[in-house]
Parts: sequence; structure tokens; C-alpha cells
Amino acid sequence: MATARPGWSRRAQYGLFFSFLALIAGVIVGLILLAISILAPARFADIRGAALDVTGPVAGAMHEVTATVEGVFTGAGDYWDAAGQNGELKRERDAMRREILQARAVMQENRQLKALLQLREHEARTIAIGRLVGSSFSSPRRFAILSAGANDGVRVGMPVRSPEGMVGRVVDTGAFASRVLLASDRANIIPARLLRGGIPVISQGRGDGTIDVRPLEVGRNPFRRGDIIITSGTGGLYPPLVPIARVIKLDDDGAVAVPLADPSNISFAIVEPPYEPAAEVESP
Amino acid sequence: MVRAALSTRRRIGQGPRPLAAFVPAVSVVLASLLAAMPIVTATGWFPDFGFLVLISWRLLRSDPWPAWWAAPMGLVNDLFTDLPIGFSVAFWSATMLALDLVDRRTMWRDYWIEWVLAAVLITIDEWLQWRVAALAEARVPFLAVVPPLVISVCVFPLSAWFVSRLDRWRLGR
Repeated sequence: MATARPGWSRRAQYGLFFSFLALIAGVIVGLILLAISILAPARFADIRGAALDVTGPVAGAMHEVTATVEGVFTGAGDYWDAAGQNGELKRERDAMRREILQARAVMQENRQLKALLQLREHEARTIAIGRLVGSSFSSPRRFAILSAGANDGVRVGMPVRSPEGMVGRVVDTGAFASRVLLASDRANIIPARLLRGGIPVISQGRGDGTIDVRPLEVGRNPFRRGDIIITSGTGGLYPPLVPIARVIKLDDDGAVAVPLADPSNISFAIVEPPYEPAAEVESP
Repeated sequence: MVRAALSTRRRIGQGPRPLAAFVPAVSVVLASLLAAMPIVTATGWFPDFGFLVLISWRLLRSDPWPAWWAAPMGLVNDLFTDLPIGFSVAFWSATMLALDLVDRRTMWRDYWIEWVLAAVLITIDEWLQWRVAALAEARVPFLAVVPPLVISVCVFPLSAWFVSRLDRWRLGR
């Protein structure tokens, strides 16, 4: 240690010593803050919200620019092979028209049956509509920043969906922006079921953009490639019958699925109130 | 050869930029703010820009900022990336301490040693982030954080080059 002495100056020696002390103090303060933010995440809600309000609008403004540039390029690409696309779209439209007619009939029958059973109907209410303007870059957690905040009525714990499917739930709110825990985060567990057959499953993120799905009953693996996973509404936070993911790969006792609402290219995200109001969760 | 030819070409009146002492810290904060870029990634394989720039400065110079600045810079990084608050405060301060100790032990430094040091620090950073995520009920297999780790290690030379250019700019050389 003698070699590290910065000469004979007392002042320089003390300076070095105090900078060591300051660093050790920094480590200790950081560890205390970390312990608080793991054990009591709500404690830092205000300061996190303030930081969101700084980044959210910036990211939102820049998002408009990138979206416009992308739109110009994909718009130009749509003119390519327009005749082929036209024919394909017409075929799709005809197929869809037939399916819509069937669906209408099923819906009418469903309404009659529900009236018979006198089930309480939940109407889907929209709290706010925003865009996903940013995401966590480097941590194993998957968060996204939504361009709607407490001023729009967004509260912690509300489910977020897009027309394509389930996106996640709100974990932090600022005044103009909020942070969404994506369905592909490991800590986001969604009660779900298979669209084909209605077998109850659990959907849990894998932290890398994909989702693990496991059947509730151990035994035969019920999944097939291409299966659609939808929310079941169990637990009361997420509304039922919202598509979550499509199975792409089977593993030994479950399957890997990709989210249908790909956070990198969904246009709008819709914030809804918790399905059962009693199920509001406070901790992320 | 006249002796003047050996010295660097320096024009009269050329010297450090105003506020040159704050350039390193500001560049670290700006690198943390890169997390506000409007890119929504599904995988999260981007490097931890703030940390990369921090260790690039610290490996280039022993005193880019007063040591205790690491804690507030870490707080800014925690706020703008999605790390739990306190993680970077503690880890960045610990990094400064560790590199002070390394400075006492190493006899010489060259580019490869710096890269190895940076790789070790980045690995510890990713591993701790993974541990902390596991504490917050997001336990993913460690293999899932290997790709961002490799990417960060490969990006470090770029960050070191950028920081050395910035250092020359701020000192007016």
C-alpha cells in the first residue's frame, strides 16, 4: 500500500482517503435503496413516475418520427405486387365474410343462452389509449413505456391490451406516461386456456420475448404447434377471452409461445380497468 | 529535425474546452438516457450503455470525476433504465472501488488487459442484474442473459474508442 501514497502531501493523502470513504458510503446507500426497492416497490413510485414523465414524452416524440419514416417505406412497398395482393385480399375477404356470418349466429345464440342463465355481463370499458414508445433495453426484465399516464386515468395494476392481444399490466404511473410489465416478463403470470378445447394453462414470460405455457394438470402435453392461448379471466385481473400467444415449439411438459401482440409493432395499446374491481393489485 | 516537430501541433489559444471537467459525467448520463430511445425490443439484448461509458472513462483515466459522483450517476441510470432503484448506485460505486484496487495491483496496462477487465466487470453486472431479477420473482435461466453479455463485451471497444475521442476533444488536443 505504501506505493499508492500520492506523495508526501497530507492534503492529497486525506483526499484519497475520503474518496474511498465516499465510495464505500455510496455502495452502502445503494444497497439500502436496492433492498427497499425490492421489498417495498411502492416506496419509490413517485420518483419513478417523475422519471417516466421525463423520458415518456421524449420517446413519444421521437417515436412519431421513426413511425413516419417506417410508414413511408412500407407504404412504398405495398405498391409492389399490388395486383397479386389484391386477389389475395379478395379471397380473404370472402372467407372472412362467411366466418362473420357464422360468428353472428353463434353470438345471437350465445346471447339467448346467457339471458337464459342470467349471467352478469361485463362490458369492456376503456380507460385510456396510448402507444408503446419505449422498452427496457438491457435487463432480464421486460418492461415497456406507454404514452398514457395518471392524468388519463391509468392506475397501477390495470391490464393493457391491443387489438391483436394481451400486452401486460401497468406497474408504474407518471402523469403522462406509465410503465407496463409485458406478458413476456418472467414475473408476469397470466391464467389462460387453450382456445382449442379450453384446457386451463398458465402463461409465464421467459424474459426474451417469448412465453412459457404449462398445463395446470400434469400429464399429457396438450399443446400443438400453432395453438392459440387466450386469457381465462381467472383471478379477476385480466379480462377473459383475450388472445395472448401462439405456440411455436413444444418442450417436455409445456410449450414455448410468441405473443400475438408483438410490443415492437403494435399500433395502439388500450388500458382497461381490472376485470373484477376487487382484484386491483398494488405491488408489481 | 527541430524539436518543435516532435511536439503535438497545438495552435495558440487552444486548450481545454470550457466545463471540460464535467464532460465525462455528462457523457455517462447521456448514455444512460439512450434508454429513452423509442425502440421497443422484445428481447432486451442492448448493452447497458451508461455502464459501458462509465468503465470506458474509468479505464482511460484514474480521475475522470470525483469518486463520489458514481452514486448520483448510478441513481440517474436506475431511474431511466428499468433497473430497481439502488442497483446502479451500489454497483457503480463498487466498480470505482474495484478499479482503484486494480490500479494498485497491475504493473502495466495495455489494450487487452483493459478489455479483459471490462469483460469481467460487464459479466459481474449482467450476473447481478440476473440475481436481482430473480429476487424480484423473475427467475430466468442464466442462458437467457448470455447473448446481451456477449454483445456488451463486443461493444466495449467501440465505447472505449468513442470515449478516447471525447477525451481528446474536451482537452483540446
